[in-house]
Amino acid sequence: MKLPLDITKIQSFYTYLKSGTWITFPNIVFLLITAFSLIMILSGFVSAMNNSYIGDGVLRFLLLATGILFIIQTVKIRFKHHYTIKLLLPTICFIIILFLFAYFLPLFPPKYDLRPYEITASLLKFLVISIFLILTGLLSLSFNIRSFFGFTSKGKQYSAYIVLIFSILLILYPLIIFIGNITVNGIGGINWEFLTEDVRSHGQQGGIVKALIGTICLIIGVTVISLPLGIGAAVYLTEYAKGGIIVRIIRITVDILQGIPSIVFGLFALAVLVPLFGISLINGILVLSFLTLPIIIRASEEAILAVPGSIREGSYALGASKWQTIKRVVLPPALPGIITGGVLGLGRAAGETAPIMFVACVFLGAPHIPNLFAPIQALPYHLLTLIYYLGAYEVEQNAWATAFLLIAIVLLINAGSILIREKYRVEF
Amino acid sequence: MLLNSKIKETIVKYIFFLLAATSIFIVFFIIYFLFNEAFPAFQEYGFSIFESDWSVPREVYKIGAALFGTALVTIGAMIIAIPLGLLSAIFLSEIAPYRVRTFLKPIIELLAGIPSIVYGFLGATLLVTYLVPTFDLLKGISIFAGSLILGIMALPIIISISDDALKAVPRDMKEASLALGATKWETIKKVTFPTAISGISAAVIMGMGRAIGETMAVSLVVGNVMQIPIPPFDIFESGATLTSIIALEMGEATGIQTYSLFACGVILFIIVGTMSVVSNILKERVAKRFKGG
Repeated sequence: MKLPLDITKIQSFYTYLKSGTWITFPNIVFLLITAFSLIMILSGFVSAMNNSYIGDGVLRFLLLATGILFIIQTVKIRFKHHYTIKLLLPTICFIIILFLFAYFLPLFPPKYDLRPYEITASLLKFLVISIFLILTGLLSLSFNIRSFFGFTSKGKQYSAYIVLIFSILLILYPLIIFIGNITVNGIGGINWEFLTEDVRSHGQQGGIVKALIGTICLIIGVTVISLPLGIGAAVYLTEYAKGGIIVRIIRITVDILQGIPSIVFGLFALAVLVPLFGISLINGILVLSFLTLPIIIRASEEAILAVPGSIREGSYALGASKWQTIKRVVLPPALPGIITGGVLGLGRAAGETAPIMFVACVFLGAPHIPNLFAPIQALPYHLLTLIYYLGAYEVEQNAWATAFLLIAIVLLINAGSILIREKYRVEF
Repeated sequence: MLLNSKIKETIVKYIFFLLAATSIFIVFFIIYFLFNEAFPAFQEYGFSIFESDWSVPREVYKIGAALFGTALVTIGAMIIAIPLGLLSAIFLSEIAPYRVRTFLKPIIELLAGIPSIVYGFLGATLLVTYLVPTFDLLKGISIFAGSLILGIMALPIIISISDDALKAVPRDMKEASLALGATKWETIKKVTFPTAISGISAAVIMGMGRAIGETMAVSLVVGNVMQIPIPPFDIFESGATLTSIIALEMGEATGIQTYSLFACGVILFIIVGTMSVVSNILKERVAKRFKGG
């Protein structure tokens, strides 16, 4: 049995559509049920997101119409293919459920208070019904496809695909909402004043220039420290190490370092670095370098391992020493991969707040020219303080603009790393 | 000359060794100072530190409530993230056409790249204001909000690692199943997914580690009240997690409070560090297994 809609061949699809041979009774019923199910899912979703209820009449109509269409489809199948009742039993149960829902769901009270059960919330009618609508819509799509394909494993496959596609759409939804909101609300606040002035009156006016400079200083400092360390460690692990206990310990410590929560780095810096340097830029650089080190080690290791052994052996055969081989033969082709990983690590470091909030940052009054041993202002910390001020001062516009700028920087860094990877990729 | 270059080679080798050993020193330092600072708290309270009793006026700082809050928030986040993440990973790696995959993969990486403070900002503004009318709450700041935001944050990690795991399943295994007449979906269910299960568990553990260790986002939406909600499953009340309590109180903490906050850090370090190691071991095992066979 073939799908009625073969999207891959659009040309033939149009002629198929024009010819009208698809207008058969089962196909029409199939398409109608699909449309009703999609309407159910969509209306459930929209009503959940907008705190609105689609109304008893519409709900009853949707459920009853789908139920009746299912009865028609099932009867048709029963007479055409002579399926046993046992095979049709789930569908029949589903139809009964549809009718029960159509009767009972609108009877749900507008607000079912959970406070007698000591839960400080209520179940609101629109939410309960929209959840039921989404689930019913998915189920009816699945039953529809399965009975259309005559309960074969192919039908099962397509109905599973529906769930998979639904889940990926569900994931994309918050992303679109987040990025959309930040762009719409943030881009209006980005202007010359915002980019070139210091904070004034608790962030209600002025801009973020010092925070921007501070974040750039952090990024530069982290690059200077963690890139050589990370590449060196990766070179040792891939080129020199011959296994053994020390290498295993190094690998496990890299795993641990990768897993340490960022706030624990902050605690460590507070206990060790602040007594040494006070609240200063160098603390931030050091602690963020430790945080990015495992990312860079892993990326560099991968990039170096991708260089095939044969060209190393070629270099040795010409009489080059190990260090010469590493310097001239192994590292150059591995460099794009290393830089990609490094840049990704920097992107993470640029956005981190927790490690630097106690040890390197102030909201106001960082020196004009950044100094290793003086505090800095940084974008993530600036945003954090603005969030704390949200109720007290008029900072919302500036907070959105800061969030937009922060996301823009991090995403530009990430996009840059992908560009480097694509442009200088070496194929062996 | 020959001797000279030999010496140089040895020196270079040891320099690289030192660079590689730096991570040992860093981890050692972190462990030492963390435990050193947390020790007085354990000395003061012993095992009763795991009770729930945190009060600044009475100067009692026992961290049980934060531990419970972390568990509750993480369980909620995983209930959201595991099914959605695994289904999306299956879609991406097994059935998405090439173009859809190359379009969606960078978008999911983008989701991972958003800094946690921005998630916190969005949670504190958009999510919280959405939750108030939706669940008829007095204030949207709650454990539930923390779970939601952490679930969204753990998703990209779970998706990209389990996608790698599913992609690593050798093609001939899948093709054998298809040749036996199984459909693509049956192959995924009975062959690909079970074969990739250790890589997928690595992904889940990694996502869980991220959810437990995440600080800024959760501290802005969870409410930071050091109490176990009554009844304990009332996720619409404010709570606190190990990370949020550190982020919020470390600034003004003195004396035994500082030590207790460091104790929170130690517990976080142990939990998340172990998870990271286990997850990486699982991943390496997968790589070895498929390389050999």
